[in-house]
Amino acid sequence: MNLGSVFVAVLQRDWAMMKRYIVNTVSSLVSIYIIFLLIFLGFKSLSGYAATGALEGTMEGTVIGFFVWTFTVMAFSDLAWNLVIEAQAGTLEQLYLTPSGFKWVSGCTLLSSLTLNFIPIVVLLVTMMATTGQWLNLDFISLIPLLLVTVLGAYGVGFALGGLALIFKRIQAIFQIFQFVFVGFLVIPQRVPWAKLLPLSMGNSLIYDVMVDGTRLWELPIGSILTALIVGAAYLAIGVTIFSVCENIAKERGLLGHY
Amino acid sequence: MSKTATALDVTSLTKVFHERGNKSVKAVDNVSFHVRQGEVLGLLGPNGAGKTTTIKCILGLMRPNAGDIKVFGESVEAHYPRILKNMSAVLEGSRNLYWRLTVWENILFFAGLHGVTSRDNKAHFEHLVRLFSLEDKRDVEVRKLSQGMKQKTSVVCALARRTPLVFLDEPTLGLDVETSLELRAVLKQMASEENRTIIVSSHNMDVIQDVCKRVIILSQGRIVADDHVSDLVSLFETKAYRITLLEPVPEGLQEALASRFRGATVTGDGTTTEVKVNLLENDDIYVLMDILRDRGAIIDEISHEETDLEKAFLEIVRRERNNHESR
Repeated sequence: MNLGSVFVAVLQRDWAMMKRYIVNTVSSLVSIYIIFLLIFLGFKSLSGYAATGALEGTMEGTVIGFFVWTFTVMAFSDLAWNLVIEAQAGTLEQLYLTPSGFKWVSGCTLLSSLTLNFIPIVVLLVTMMATTGQWLNLDFISLIPLLLVTVLGAYGVGFALGGLALIFKRIQAIFQIFQFVFVGFLVIPQRVPWAKLLPLSMGNSLIYDVMVDGTRLWELPIGSILTALIVGAAYLAIGVTIFSVCENIAKERGLLGHY
Repeated sequence: MSKTATALDVTSLTKVFHERGNKSVKAVDNVSFHVRQGEVLGLLGPNGAGKTTTIKCILGLMRPNAGDIKVFGESVEAHYPRILKNMSAVLEGSRNLYWRLTVWENILFFAGLHGVTSRDNKAHFEHLVRLFSLEDKRDVEVRKLSQGMKQKTSVVCALARRTPLVFLDEPTLGLDVETSLELRAVLKQMASEENRTIIVSSHNMDVIQDVCKRVIILSQGRIVADDHVSDLVSLFETKAYRITLLEPVPEGLQEALASRFRGATVTGDGTTTEVKVNLLENDDIYVLMDILRDRGAIIDEISHEETDLEKAFLEIVRRERNNHESR
């Protein structure tokens, strides 16, 4: 397997696409910011919003939750939506002809997406902090590993839905529903016992500790980090398994090239 | 690997699609063939004959119900996806490309997926771009290219991966005559220059006749002919006859010929009659003469029909369909 050249090829492709679709890239960031602004103004106008329990009722929590949600949705979209777009465009079968295997191409796509999306998302985060006046701790050494652990669960969901898209083709409505389901995973308070077992939830809580309390990665409870890692990895493994089953069915029925 | 090494070995390949209501369609039915390294093979067949399904099973994009596929001696199933380092393909022509990327960016991407990087292969990529006359369009987004140029870019992207086995599924589909001729000329040149094994699937006879030395004809999922193109054409050349009669169509001639020679045609203009017939058996010429003599036909001229692959193909497929229906 020559994963290095696969990653470079994917990164070059995505970078070229990003530049060519620059209006789309910028407008999607602006749209996300506008949604955040509406939520922020809405919450501000509600005197008792802190009592809602959402993100433990703090504005910092809202900023962090929105930041993690944006990061997660971008990661999820780059997997599930891209698969549908590739099938529509006719390039999916070509990606399947990669000697390292399609799953690794998807993995490289995710890594490339993380690389290219990281700076715009951080810019968005800084803009959100400036809007709310809530300046959070941006300790990237602690944040980046936690973000990676957190999005594992989203990748799992992305693989599972991507697999279903190989068979059922038009399931974009489910993708949209899941974007809202992710909000649910993020706002469920950690005091709910089974919340730790949901994708994103534990990771989001740890990111909150780093960004609000200034806790360093190595100061976080190891048990919590391991829980976030194991839960994320489990969702990823389940997602990849579902994808593999769906892929086999699609190959059996000759559906890879269909749309 | 020696020149005569087997590049592809397909044994008893079968693919069945199950449809709703327990109906099943055998898209590929017990197909076996092998291709030597450096050979340019044509897969010819009408729509739905099983050409694309065969190719996709070989490439691992579809799972066959039965059969064994070996590429350069290695089982595709056992060594998938690593075995793909030996194979590349154009499957849906221009749809195989990113239309928002330039020609060069597409080449770099698809070659990169195969571990073929521009650092070591830039000269090869540039050679392909020149060979396919795409120099002026190198940095143009694919969406701005004509259909012919998109198709050529697809072929270049497949070839840039430097795989010893290349599949081109309907490479001239949707192209105008001029571009099709141009692409065929380049493919021919490339096939003679490089020792690659190329499998071209098409329902366009001219493409196969022009580019390939050997042809496999598929009909209803089965191989109905596997021969050198020249042999197949000459086989029918010696058996296709045109007879001109100096009289209107004799009574009962059409029926008599139709009952003995499938596909025989009788046309008349009121003063002369033209009979076209394929004589498949050695004694058919005597039977034909007997039929004409019995009707008192006055023969003006007997000549061999000009035959090309298209006529040979139509005759083979028609015969196969008739055999299939009579079974």
